[in-house]
Amino acid sequence: MIELQGVVKHFGSLKAVDDVDLNIEKGERIVIIGPSGSGKTTLLRMINFLEKMDDGKILLDGTEVGYRRDKKGRLVLEKPEIISALRSEIGMVFQHFHLFPHMTALQNVMEGPITVKRESREKAREVALDLLGKVGLMDKKDAFPAFLSGGQKQRVAIARALAMRPRLMLFDEPTSALDPELVGEVFSTIKNLASEGMTMVIVTHQMGFAREMADRVIFMDNGKFIFEGQPGDLFSSHMENPRVKTFLKKVL
Amino acid sequence: MLAGTLSLLLSVLPARSARAETADKPDRYELLAQGTRLVQDGNLDAALALFREIPPPAPGQDAGAFVRARMEAAKILFSRQEYDESAGMCKDILAKLPDNLEAKNLLAQVQAAQTPEWLRFLKDMKTYLPTLLKASGMTLLLVLITMVISPICGLFIALGRISRLKALSAFFWCFIWMFRGTPLLLQLFFIYYGLPQMGVTLKPFTAAIIGLGLNYSAYLAEIMRGAIESIDAGQMEAAKAIGMTYWQAMRRIIIPQTYKRLVPPVGNEFIALIKDTALVSTIAMVELMRAADQIFNATFNIFILVQAAIIYLVLTSIFTVSFRKIEDRLGVYENR
Ligand SMILES: Nc1ncnc2c1ncn2[C@@H]1O[C@H](COP(=O)(O)OP(=O)(O)OP(=O)(O)O)[C@@H](O)[C@H]1O
Ligand SMILES: [Mg+2]
Repeated sequence: MIELQGVVKHFGSLKAVDDVDLNIEKGERIVIIGPSGSGKTTLLRMINFLEKMDDGKILLDGTEVGYRRDKKGRLVLEKPEIISALRSEIGMVFQHFHLFPHMTALQNVMEGPITVKRESREKAREVALDLLGKVGLMDKKDAFPAFLSGGQKQRVAIARALAMRPRLMLFDEPTSALDPELVGEVFSTIKNLASEGMTMVIVTHQMGFAREMADRVIFMDNGKFIFEGQPGDLFSSHMENPRVKTFLKKVL
Repeated sequence: MLAGTLSLLLSVLPARSARAETADKPDRYELLAQGTRLVQDGNLDAALALFREIPPPAPGQDAGAFVRARMEAAKILFSRQEYDESAGMCKDILAKLPDNLEAKNLLAQVQAAQTPEWLRFLKDMKTYLPTLLKASGMTLLLVLITMVISPICGLFIALGRISRLKALSAFFWCFIWMFRGTPLLLQLFFIYYGLPQMGVTLKPFTAAIIGLGLNYSAYLAEIMRGAIESIDAGQMEAAKAIGMTYWQAMRRIIIPQTYKRLVPPVGNEFIALIKDTALVSTIAMVELMRAADQIFNATFNIFILVQAAIIYLVLTSIFTVSFRKIEDRLGVYENR
C-alpha cells in the first residue's frame, strides 16, 4: 500500500534516517523498536509528510506522491493542499497526545471530519460518538482534555485519528508518556483496532506490542534497519546481532 | 500738650456732628463731599468713619447723600473683605431704594465672596458635569472604534510577522518597529499636521482614529505574535496530521487557544488606550481631556480636573473588571 524507497533524512551532519526501504502492505501491523535517537520518530513523521525527506521516494499504491524535484534536482514538497490531502488518509498518534485543549473530547474527534472533510455536523457527531464508544469513553464525551487522565487522552487521540477514516495508522510511542497502570487501556484499544484489520506502524519500547500483534518487527539503529523479521525471530535464542541483544536485555 | 490737643479735638468732633444733625440737610452732602475727598487722598479709615456717621434720612426726606455714602462705605468694606458689614450697608440702601442696581450687584458679589470656595467648586462641578459627560462620549467612541480596528489589523500584522515570506515579515517588523518606537503624540501630529503638507488633509476625528488604530495595531500585533508562538508546536502538528492546512490549523486550533492568554495583556493595552485618547486633544479633538482643560482655564476650578479624573477612573475600572470576567469565562477548559 505504502512504500518507502531509499529514504534519507539529515539533521545537519547527522543522518537521522539513512537509506531506508519499507513496504507496508494493506492490513499489515509493523512494530518498530530501537534505542533512543535511532530515527524511529523521524521515519514515522516522513511517512506522514510532517518531516521533509532529503532523498528517496514515497509511493502510494505504486505511484510516487508528495514530492517533486526543483530545477536543481532537489526534492521539494508538493503544494500544501496536496500534502494535506495525503495526510488526511494517514492517522497519527503522538507520544504526548496533542489533543486540542479548547475542545471537548467529542469536539476533538469531530474536528477533522468537519473542517477537513467538510462533513455535516450531524454526521460528524454520529461518527465521533461511535468512535468514542469504541475506545470506551462515551461518558467523557463532554470533558475537556485537561480533565482526562493520560490513558483517556490517548484514547481520545486515537478516536480523533480514526474519525478521518485513515488507511494507515501511525503510533509514535503511544504509551511512553503514561503511568504504568494506564498503559493497559491504551494497549488494548490498539489491539482491538488491529483485530479489525487496520494497517498500522507502531513505534514502541513496549515489547508486548511486538509479541502480541506484530506481523513484522523492525529494529532500527543509527537511522538504519538492522533487523527485520517475525516477532518470534526477534525473541528467539538464535538472535545473533549484538546491538539487538543488548537492547532487548535492557527493555525486557 | 499733644495729648491735650487730641482730647480737645475728640471732644469737639462729636459736638460738631451733633450740631450738624440739628442743622439743615445740606450738611449730609457736606459730609459726603468731605468723605469723597478723603477717599481720593487715600485716607480710607477716616472716610469710612465719616460715611458711617451719615444718618438715614427720615421717610420722605432726600436719600441721595445717605445712599451714596453707604455705597462708598460698602465698597471700601468689600475691598477689605469685611463682607458682613458690607452686606449690611447694601441692605440699608436697598431698604431705601429697593431697585438700586449698584447695591444689588455689590450685594451679589459680597454673597458670592461669602460662599466657601469648596461650595462654589461643587456648584461648578454640577454645572459642567453634562459638558464633561458629553465629551466622555467622544472619548469612549474613540476607544471603542480603536478596540475594533486594532485587534483585526494586529492579527494580520502578527500573521505577517510569523510568515515564512521574508519580505512580508520584514515589512511588518518595520511597521511595528516604527509605531512602537516613536511617541503616539508625534504620530498624531504627523498624521494631522504633517500629511496635509503632502496633500492629504484629514478631519481631526479621522486622524485620531488612524493614529490610535495604527499605534495600537502595532502593540497588539506583538502581543498576538507572542501568544501564537507560545502555543505548543505539537498543536500545529496534530492539526496537520488530521489533514488540516496551515490556515485551517491557525483558524481552528492555534488562534482560539490564544484568546485566554491574550485577555490580560490586551486588557492592559485597552486601559492604556483610554488614557492615551487624551493625546488627541492636541489635534483639535474635543474629548474628555480637552473639555476639562477648557473649563479649567475658564474657571480655574481644580475640581473640574478631579471630576475628569473620576470619569477616567470609572472607565478604566469598568474595563479592568470586564476583562477579568472575560478571562475567567475563556478559561473553562482549563483544569485549575
Ligand atoms: N528537528 C530536529 N533537528 C535536529 N535534530 C533532530 C531533529 N529531530 C530529530 N533529530 C535528531 O535525529 C535523531 C533521530 O531522532 P528521532 O526522534 O527520530 O529518534 P527516535 O528513535 O524517535 O528516539 P526516541 O526513542 O528517543 O524517541 C536524533 O539524534 C535526534 O536528536
Ligand atoms: Mg521518538
